[in-house]
Amino acid sequence: MKITYNWLKDFVDIDVSPEELAKKLTNAGMEVEEIIYQNEHLHHVVVGKILKIERHPQADKLVVCQVDIGKETTQIITAATNVFEGAVVPVSLPGADLVNGVKIEVSRLRGVESRGMFCSGEELGIDENYFEGAGVNGILILPNDFKVGTPIDKALMLDDVIFDVGVTPNRADCMSVIGLAREVCALLGRPMKKVNLNFPIDIYSKDTVRNYVNVTVETANCYRYMAGAITDVKIQRSPLWMRARLNAVDIKPISTMVDITNYVLIEMGQPLHAFDQTHIGGQKIVVRQAREGEKITVLNHNTYTLDKDVMVIADEEKPMVIAGVIGGTNSCIEQDTKTVVLEAAVFDLKNIRLTSRKIGVRTDSSARYEKGVNVANAEMGLCRALHLVSKLGCGKVVRGVIDISSKKNEARDIVGSVSEINSILGVTIPASKMKNILDNLGIETKVVGDRLECKVPPYREDISNCNDLAEEVIRMYGYDVYDKVDIALFENARVTEGQNHPRLAMERKMRGVLVDYGFNETVNYSLVPSNMAEKLLLEDERKNMIRVSNPISDEISCLRTSMAHSLLSVLSYNQRVGNKDARLFEAGRIYLPKELPLKELPVEKNRLALVVHENGFDFFNMKWVIEGLMSTVCSSFALQRSTEPYLHPGVSADIIVDDKVVGRFGQIHPLVAKNYEVSEKTYYAELDTSFLAELPAKRYSVKAVPKFPVVERDIAIVVDEDKTVEELSKAIKSACGKLFYGVKLFDIYRSSALGEGKKSLAFNIRLSDENKTLTEEDVTGVINKVLKALSFRFGAVLR
Amino acid sequence: MEQELLLIKENALKDIKGALDAKSLSDVKVKYLGKAGELTAVLRNMRSVAPEDRPKIGSIVNEVRTCIEEALSQKEKAFEREALSAKLQGEKIDITEPSKGQEKGSIHPIMSVLDELIDICVDMGFTVVEGPEVESDYYNFEAMNTPKNHPARDMQDSFYITENILLRTQTSAVQSRELETRKPPFKIIAPGKTYRNDSDSTHSPVFHQLEGLVVDENVSMADLKIMLSEMMRRLYGEGTKVRFRPSYFPFTEPSVEVDVSCPNCHGQGCKTCKGTGFLEILGAGVVNPKVFEIAGIDSKKYKGFAFGIGIERSAMVLNSVPDLRTMYRNDVRFLNQMK
Repeated sequence: MKITYNWLKDFVDIDVSPEELAKKLTNAGMEVEEIIYQNEHLHHVVVGKILKIERHPQADKLVVCQVDIGKETTQIITAATNVFEGAVVPVSLPGADLVNGVKIEVSRLRGVESRGMFCSGEELGIDENYFEGAGVNGILILPNDFKVGTPIDKALMLDDVIFDVGVTPNRADCMSVIGLAREVCALLGRPMKKVNLNFPIDIYSKDTVRNYVNVTVETANCYRYMAGAITDVKIQRSPLWMRARLNAVDIKPISTMVDITNYVLIEMGQPLHAFDQTHIGGQKIVVRQAREGEKITVLNHNTYTLDKDVMVIADEEKPMVIAGVIGGTNSCIEQDTKTVVLEAAVFDLKNIRLTSRKIGVRTDSSARYEKGVNVANAEMGLCRALHLVSKLGCGKVVRGVIDISSKKNEARDIVGSVSEINSILGVTIPASKMKNILDNLGIETKVVGDRLECKVPPYREDISNCNDLAEEVIRMYGYDVYDKVDIALFENARVTEGQNHPRLAMERKMRGVLVDYGFNETVNYSLVPSNMAEKLLLEDERKNMIRVSNPISDEISCLRTSMAHSLLSVLSYNQRVGNKDARLFEAGRIYLPKELPLKELPVEKNRLALVVHENGFDFFNMKWVIEGLMSTVCSSFALQRSTEPYLHPGVSADIIVDDKVVGRFGQIHPLVAKNYEVSEKTYYAELDTSFLAELPAKRYSVKAVPKFPVVERDIAIVVDEDKTVEELSKAIKSACGKLFYGVKLFDIYRSSALGEGKKSLAFNIRLSDENKTLTEEDVTGVINKVLKALSFRFGAVLR
Repeated sequence: MEQELLLIKENALKDIKGALDAKSLSDVKVKYLGKAGELTAVLRNMRSVAPEDRPKIGSIVNEVRTCIEEALSQKEKAFEREALSAKLQGEKIDITEPSKGQEKGSIHPIMSVLDELIDICVDMGFTVVEGPEVESDYYNFEAMNTPKNHPARDMQDSFYITENILLRTQTSAVQSRELETRKPPFKIIAPGKTYRNDSDSTHSPVFHQLEGLVVDENVSMADLKIMLSEMMRRLYGEGTKVRFRPSYFPFTEPSVEVDVSCPNCHGQGCKTCKGTGFLEILGAGVVNPKVFEIAGIDSKKYKGFAFGIGIERSAMVLNSVPDLRTMYRNDVRFLNQMK
């Protein structure tokens, strides 16, 4: 919110610089986000008067002007055509640095010296709304009564300093100049100047406000409705000082009556609405909820169809204003308005907030109402506006105001405690200092022993308990007091034992393994596009994704039900930008709704997902990675063929622990590879970390190292392709019986010599006897048994 | 005889010393100890020694022999070492050739800050907890003293799913759940993803926070300050300073923004901190008694403080990541720099 330094000075004597004031406000919680000097680009620009204009001797389109700039006369060459002898104009002199980037220097134009430039309104950063003539295509011609030599920022009232203040949502009372002035008073220890709320009325007149309007309030969402009437209205340009203030806070000056309502909005934080009285049907104002289907066309030129949740200000038949948000075109101030009814109301903040959201219109008015306008504010706002009407002489204030109020607004008594405040803050601030701070903030405080008896003014609705008082005290006392605090860590807390989350601890190990295995960790949005399931060929319940109702784009509109999308997308991105090879992983969540639309919170499951594309990397490399990962949580696992739709049905496996599928891995399905524009030789894996974290801690059951030598034999057999290493190994183990010590495949060989559909497998078999050294005879016997079994069960032929 | 032996010894040692290589040393060995060697010759003459002198001479002979043998062996070893050294020199490789084996991967900067903070907090006595990311309006807002249509809801644009279910906008949602179930005193942290309907160069719709909550009977704003100073010192390094600025959160009162002195310029002002010398890293405050009351904790007896750290900012500052969006693009050329 923007306010100005000079405007604040209307309410409090400020003897510190704008920077200093901004710093103080920021340190007290009113963060000044920006300080803008209006005249930053107006130095070396003064009011000048053209004394004489002569033709340029060398150029037809230029003229040479002698210009009175106060202390001296200077010569300026211009091409402008709207200047004339006697014209009062803004003159930029050498050293000027205008808002459009033009820097003024002494120059020679076709041999004749020019010591400056006349300025247009645009070059001074102003427009026609701000100053008459500023919008013309040419030099800004100033009124004759502007004093020659005056710096232009003074002459045009562009010498204010603007503060952009971030007011926190709890401080609705500071959404105004007067609100921030109260803070300034407290910060500087200065009293508040009296606000002029006076306006002359004819107290004997029989003409009262009731002759112009009657008000009924039919809704509980209106806490207070005040109205005044103004006759003999003159709609004209507001005086420069008022336009200057509005312009400084980015409000476009329009005409007296509208400007006054805006001025009071900024100054007092009280939104006002001005009706053209002749358009109030039946001279009746009714504050009510809209009827279903009622329509209104408002000042932004849109027409809205209303419902009963929207509050309106209506006349006897039609809605005239969407209450607190925006006025209708049917009753607004026009150039020929003669009689005005001025509204100052207070509405329920929730209702205004809801309406503003519903119709998507946010105005200066709704911005204040939805944070909460205090009930007492209406009266001050209305009186201030009527004061300005009489000050500007733009109308005659009618006797009496209408005031319908359903909510009381009084100072509240709360009791605080000095020791409690100090124990919240952990520092020692004396009671007298607390009283001083609170008094300055308008919270009248009496110290009775440890008790602080506080009278909280109505506008401080945010203060209700000791913590609130503590905050007021410390923000004014200064948070830098904590720079000196010197106590031990957790000096006032009991010892607690720290513990990581079991799953996070497990993931930490796995992530470490993956880094060792060359994987880069990624972090991805858990929000995915709505066609995710389609791209992954998912047909099961994972098709049902939770969709956010107000997504930024479809690309991030749904919660992922599979990690595969994220990893494939990030791989795809990398391949697109030329990073061909990648080993990537992510530890994240998937979100599985129990039903859609959501009635209860979904199940959130944690997953560790991996994707690899690398020259030479295949299923068995991925298997190696899986073994590495699984070894962090359990000693063994089984595999079975996977039916995961996005994996290649022949080159994928489910990982089984305790008869449960705890993960899967394999080559990506070619259709999915196409959908994501990644290579078909892409391998993906996923582990159910939610489940794995629940497994009992990994323990080992170690057997004694054999006392007698282990004997090794290698055999190579030829079998059909469909015989698996696992079943052959199992058969070898069982054939070896008690002498089995281990079996390991060490070579696979395929060739046309072996025959179509055949492969040769070479196993290394290790045998050992607990009680003796094996003889050659023992070993041959066992190997023969093995070969016989393999031949019988699998048709294996010794090679 | 004795003289002769000593002379042999003297000559032998001289010859050994003078041997230039293994070959000449071997000649020396033959010259003295060989079958026709000088010492062997002396031994052969033992018969001419008077029997009573024999033991004495014998022992001298042995002594001389041992002495020569030792000198020979030492010299031999020296030659072997020399030969080996020469051979090894010849086997010199280019040590700047690349390493073999699997090149290491990397941890994502966001996760690395989270890991680090979790370790710091666990060390300080915090228990790590988690909560759902798809959260009820109640836990995300209402239980955090932010009822429906509260102006503070404007501070965060939420992604709604239904009227009462949304993507959590803050890890503070975990606070409300833990406050309902835990018995004080306790210290918890809750790391995780959070969501806001906001996307530009400095805002990501999905981002990470780490929430902390301490509840005990006598903790205060001063304890909060000391704890955060320690935490930030461990994360950002020795000499890191922490400063409070007043702020507002519905669930803490008083509330503060917490700035950390810029680790890049140590408070002098630089590009990283936009010249301010400080970085806005987290929000914190004393738990609002209303939050305790909503959760059913005796607000007269217990006090608490809470903090919420935005992880992305720290991840960027600690690793000089130039742009927020870089972190979610996961370009391998970016990730590889975190090795």
